[in-house]
Formats: sequence, structure tokens, C-alpha cells
Amino acid sequence: METDVLIIGGGPAGLAAAIETATRGLDVTIVDESSSLGGQLCQQTQLIRPLPSVYQPMRGFELAKVLTEQINDFTVGTLLNHRVIGLYADGSVGLSDEEKVFPVKAKKIVVATGAAEQAVAFPKWTLPGIITIGAAQTLVNRDFVMPGKEAVIVGSSDFALDVASQLLEVGVEVKGIVEKNPAAAAREKEKTDALIGRGIPFYFNSFIKEARGNGQVEEIDIEVNGEILTVSADVVCIDGGRSPILDSFYQLGCSFGYQKELGGWIPQYNRQFKTDRENVFLAGNAAGISQQGALLLTGMIAGISICEDLQTIRSGEAEEIRDALWEELKLSEYKDVWEGRTKHIEKFSSPVLKDQFIS
Amino acid sequence: MHIENHPILGKQLQEPVTFYFNDQPYKAYTQQSVAAALMANGVKKFGLSRKLVQSRGLFCSRGRCCSCYMTVNGEDHVRTCMTKVEEGMSVYPNLEDPEVRREKHGD
Repeated sequence: METDVLIIGGGPAGLAAAIETATRGLDVTIVDESSSLGGQLCQQTQLIRPLPSVYQPMRGFELAKVLTEQINDFTVGTLLNHRVIGLYADGSVGLSDEEKVFPVKAKKIVVATGAAEQAVAFPKWTLPGIITIGAAQTLVNRDFVMPGKEAVIVGSSDFALDVASQLLEVGVEVKGIVEKNPAAAAREKEKTDALIGRGIPFYFNSFIKEARGNGQVEEIDIEVNGEILTVSADVVCIDGGRSPILDSFYQLGCSFGYQKELGGWIPQYNRQFKTDRENVFLAGNAAGISQQGALLLTGMIAGISICEDLQTIRSGEAEEIRDALWEELKLSEYKDVWEGRTKHIEKFSSPVLKDQFIS
Repeated sequence: MHIENHPILGKQLQEPVTFYFNDQPYKAYTQQSVAAALMANGVKKFGLSRKLVQSRGLFCSRGRCCSCYMTVNGEDHVRTCMTKVEEGMSVYPNLEDPEVRREKHGD
């Protein structure tokens, strides 16, 4: 199989890159290991904001639909339920549908593999019923399944508090939100206030001492100010933050740098969202954890840069659009994330890790 | 428990299916993953860990952590969070490492 642009990951960033490239006449193929496009947007029922100026504010699943519809009018091939499993010697990407393996020869590759949630370990954290906060949201909004009756949430990011509200809306009792710091991690204070207003207890300076249960979680001990509070819970949601998914970058041989504000180790890339490997671009959370609107912008920048390379757009025009998108990116992401990204780009020519595997 | 009427997304559960866990029939809906279908029926323990032999179940629901491995339609180590439930599907817990060299694989 041959294609102009192979996009690995059909989430917001991958779709944004697909729109930019497909609408400028390129033949685009998107590969995604799940059974639908949209990535994690599909189960986001909260309002996503800010979004790039071309989009109205809308809920995540609506945005997934809007993005998917935009590529329908163009030559975009979608390989759902397919995974990238490696590279061939000639640079073709090896895809698998779990039965066969076949090569795809692409002129340009965009790696938009997104991020993975991280765990917060405590004794017996592996008990069934202890899941990531994202898994809880997926169960409720995608699978339409109650994850349990009584939930405790460990962590208090904006996302965790969004999901806490969504759990409440379907009738899960949220027994408490456990935060190791003295204040909620959520940047939007009204989310914390709304939950406090609904009588949800926040346990600050606290952590999970232990989970217990026979074959599945039944109760947990929360250490609050040196005292142990035992709470019955049949679901515990862990909000441990996210880190970029790097597997494809290892396989492609990209260099890496460490940028705490962007989620840790990420590939080195430049203003074009191009890595140091020939023809390999990246976008989205894989290029550093940020907000949904910013992820779209990174995909758009990568897409424009590919069009420039493949000469479906004039160089001057590409530069102009890219500058405008970078300006918008600056306004769309949190200041510390933006500063981390700027620092990261400056290090493009002097990567920390080259030809090494991060274990 | 299935969410029959979602506060934002409405009534989404349309096509019911029957699947089997340990040969017992359970009700689920076509768009659900096998893992979610089990949890809707109160099954959270999907198997045992290989070394410490502790209970394991769904964790990330993204196909990355492999905590939800089960045997589905005779195939071992299937990520049940990434597999959609189907009519008549037969699911068994993942209690030990699969036997890789079996007769049916010609070895």
C-alpha cells in the first residue's frame, strides 16, 4: 500500500493533520488501533475550550464528529483496528490487523499517538475496581456502564473533576476526592467549588494508605492529617496525570528530550513539528501534554508543514499560516506548558538522547 | 449496571446481545467492550496475575496496561477493553500464562 501521508493515531491531533493535508490535495491514510476515529474525544461530554478560532465551543464527542465529517469529503483512507508494529528496512511502516501484517509506504508520517494515563501506586492498587480516571469516563460515556456505586477519586486535576461530575450525573456516589497537596490541582477553580457545593468531600494533604477487598476493592484507608479514615468504595479512580506515548518514535529512531511541563520525555521537534528523522512529523499529546484546543493546533501545524514539503502550498504561504497557528497556540495553552514547548524547540539541534532507548 | 438513559447522550443502548462468561449467560449491548460488558454484570475480577497470583481486572481501558487479558472465543490474552462484545461470545478468565505450543498451532 502507498500513501502520501500516513497518520498514526486518529484522535484530535491526527484528524487535524489529516484535514490540513487532505484538503490540499494529498492522499492521506489514518491508522488507529481502536474501532472509531476521534480518540479520547469520543467519551468527553464536557465542553472543550478554548478551541482554535475555526471551531465553535462544543462538547468533546461533538468535536470528534465535526473533525471526522471534515475528512469524509476527501481521499482519506482509515484503517481502524490496526496497529503499527514496526518498520521495514525500506522505511515502510508495518501495520497489523492482529492477523496479517502489511507494509505501507508513505512519503510523510505523522505520529499522533497521544498520551497514556499514569498510575498512582499504593498498597493493593492492583485490585479490580481500581481503574484510571479515564477508564471510569470511558465506561460511563462510551460503554454506558456504571463502574460502581461508590467511588473515591485519587487526584484532582481539571479532567478528574470533570469526570467526578459526570459520575455524579449518572448516579455514582462520589465519596471523596483525595489530593496529596494542600489544594486542588484543577486550574479552573469553579470545578472544585461546584463539587464542594454538591457536598463532595475533598481530602487535602492526604493519600491512600491501603485498599482492601476480596477479589475486588471494597474499602480504602485514606490518611488525612495523620489519621486514618476508612471509606467503603467499589470503584477507585486514579488520576496520575498522563505521559506521551513514544513507542512509534523509538521504532522510527527519533531523538528525545526531557521537558517536565510537557509530560516528561518527548521527541525533539522543530517549529514545523518535524522530528530529526527524515519525513517524520508529530502532533498532539505525543508532542507534549496540553489542552484539546492546543492539540488541534499542533496537528494543523504538522499538516501545513507536510503540505509545504510536498509542495501543495507555497513556502511563503505555509510560513504565514504556521506563524498564525503558533500565535494561536501560545494563547491556547497554559503559560508553563507554552514555555516548556518553546524551550524544547530551542533544543532541537542538541538533543539529550539520541540512538538510545529510554527504559 | 447498564446506563439505559444517559443524562447527556440519551438512550444509546439499542442492540442487546447475550455472551457467556464461565459458560453463564450475561446481557450486554453491541457497542460495549467485553470488559465493560462484564463490569455491567458485576464481574470485576478478570483473572490472576502471573507471578503473585493476585486478582486483576480492567485498569486503563485504552489497551495499554494489559490488566484485562482474558480468553475470548478460545483465544488467550485478548485485551478485553479493546474487543467489542458479540452475540454468543464465550469469555473465560485469564488464570495463567497461555500454552503457546499447542497441537492446533502445529507444535
